[in-house]
Amino acid sequence: MSDSQLYKAQLLDHFKKPRNKAVGELTTMQVVKRGSNPRCGDDIEVGFCLNNNTIEPIQFRGRGCSVCIASASMMTESIKGQPAEYAKKIAAQMQRWIAGEDVKMPEMLLPLEAVRQHPARKKCVMLAWHALVEGMEECNV
Amino acid sequence: MSSVVLSKTRTNQRANASGQIDPERVKALFPIFRNNELTRNLSYLDNAATSQKPEVVMQAMDDAMRLFHSPVNRGFYPLAEQTTTRYEQARERLKSFIGAETDTSVIFTASATDSINQVAQGFLLARLKPGQNVWVTRMEHHSNYLPWQDVCEKSGASLRIIELNSTGELDLDRHPDIFSDTTAMIALTQTSNVLGTTNDVKAICEQAKQKHIPVLIDAAQAVVSNTINVQQLGCDFLVFSAHKMFAPTGIGLLYIAPDRLDQVQPVRLGGGMVDFAADSIADTTWSEAPHCFEAGSPNLVGAIGFAAACDFVESLGQANIKAHIGELATTLYQQLSHYPNLHLVSPAKHLSSGIVSFYHDVIHAHDLAQIMGDSGVAVRAGHHCAQPLLRHLGVSSTLRISISVYNTNDDINAVMNALAHAEKVFA
Repeated sequence: MSDSQLYKAQLLDHFKKPRNKAVGELTTMQVVKRGSNPRCGDDIEVGFCLNNNTIEPIQFRGRGCSVCIASASMMTESIKGQPAEYAKKIAAQMQRWIAGEDVKMPEMLLPLEAVRQHPARKKCVMLAWHALVEGMEECNV
Repeated sequence: MSSVVLSKTRTNQRANASGQIDPERVKALFPIFRNNELTRNLSYLDNAATSQKPEVVMQAMDDAMRLFHSPVNRGFYPLAEQTTTRYEQARERLKSFIGAETDTSVIFTASATDSINQVAQGFLLARLKPGQNVWVTRMEHHSNYLPWQDVCEKSGASLRIIELNSTGELDLDRHPDIFSDTTAMIALTQTSNVLGTTNDVKAICEQAKQKHIPVLIDAAQAVVSNTINVQQLGCDFLVFSAHKMFAPTGIGLLYIAPDRLDQVQPVRLGGGMVDFAADSIADTTWSEAPHCFEAGSPNLVGAIGFAAACDFVESLGQANIKAHIGELATTLYQQLSHYPNLHLVSPAKHLSSGIVSFYHDVIHAHDLAQIMGDSGVAVRAGHHCAQPLLRHLGVSSTLRISISVYNTNDDINAVMNALAHAEKVFA
């Protein structure tokens, strides 16, 4: 049995049935940013549109381990339809939470909690979030 | 020099008098497997990354710190003289371990990586010309790839790659110009850290010698299960690290053939390697080899541990080690081959290296390694510092199981159980 409880049912569910995952290019998105980690081969793109300061739609594509894909999927679910400032705040909280700080996170993201105990997986879990932050910086959010 | 009679180290005890490896008995020589909760029931199968350390190596290093620690080559009191003698005895031990002609050819470095960088920078860079080729292989570790790429780009030469055939072996016939006048250097691994393929380095050295092409052999993965004799190989340079052969991290070996010693410039400058420190480097004179290549206070404790590990490996016998790890790797390979979702990338012909790499259709190698880790099976997942090879294989990561002297059939069973569990988790 997996002692770390890293592979919770919700995490595996998002990996096996990723939400907002595109198959082809993210051509219809206003902003597309890539996050890649050559050390492990994770390589994804996050794309979104910003309308009236609201993130909608948001998609991602690419390949990665279960932690990377599930995190990207949960990220898109947790911020779609939300104001840009909210997304920016959650991304910053996510960074601190994964780094080990005691931060209250939205319920949607809690299945990622076990990743905090695995330093080697922190890059995987943050890849989509870094791409999101880069995209928002481009939009001057 | 002091006439202190040096006591024999405890490393001379034969760990394996009978010939065949008894892994349970060998495992008992490694304190880590009984010292804590994390390791007591651990199936440690990450030996190509680094090996565990036997008591005899630790004891030798402990002695070096408790009984005779003092400066090497720098003191005039009896303790310092004894320490210097011990350090040079360690060099002698490495010399006999690799069959070198002279101890001036045996240089202690920080690692195999450091050794290769010293050859690239101190030997090849100054003689490399635009239009020349430096050959490496598709299966090189980054440590035997990037240093050559760097000197090629700095001097306008080309880095050429010996590709692999469909059976995961070097396809020498595809590159008729390897052994030609345009080749400035050949650098290749003896055994691939990903595939486990062992190359016929002797044949390559023989062909290269006819054209006076220098050859560097990276023996890091080969040294535990192959007796190395640099004179029989006919190589110009040979490197390996200590930590993959039961000795500590932080020390490696660089062998430079006697006729190449004068052609290598020191790249590490500092204490202990200079005879006359003049007002300019041009007027400065370096010490004789090997000391000119060992700047700074030598790694005494590391060298003592390195020498003790030579004793340990030889007490088991490289041929016995090869038979043991090959047998377990074959058992594992056969069991893995029944899994429809697995793709084995290690050639069946080269399992005597003890390395079995594969990838899974559905489960990312990192996930597989994590689940195995939680089940007490320590393996490696990723590109194994061999990205050019992984690109060739068309995968971003593989899972690697690397077997050593203390592994048993129980460890192989643990792998299979963990794999079955992972498939359930990801079903």
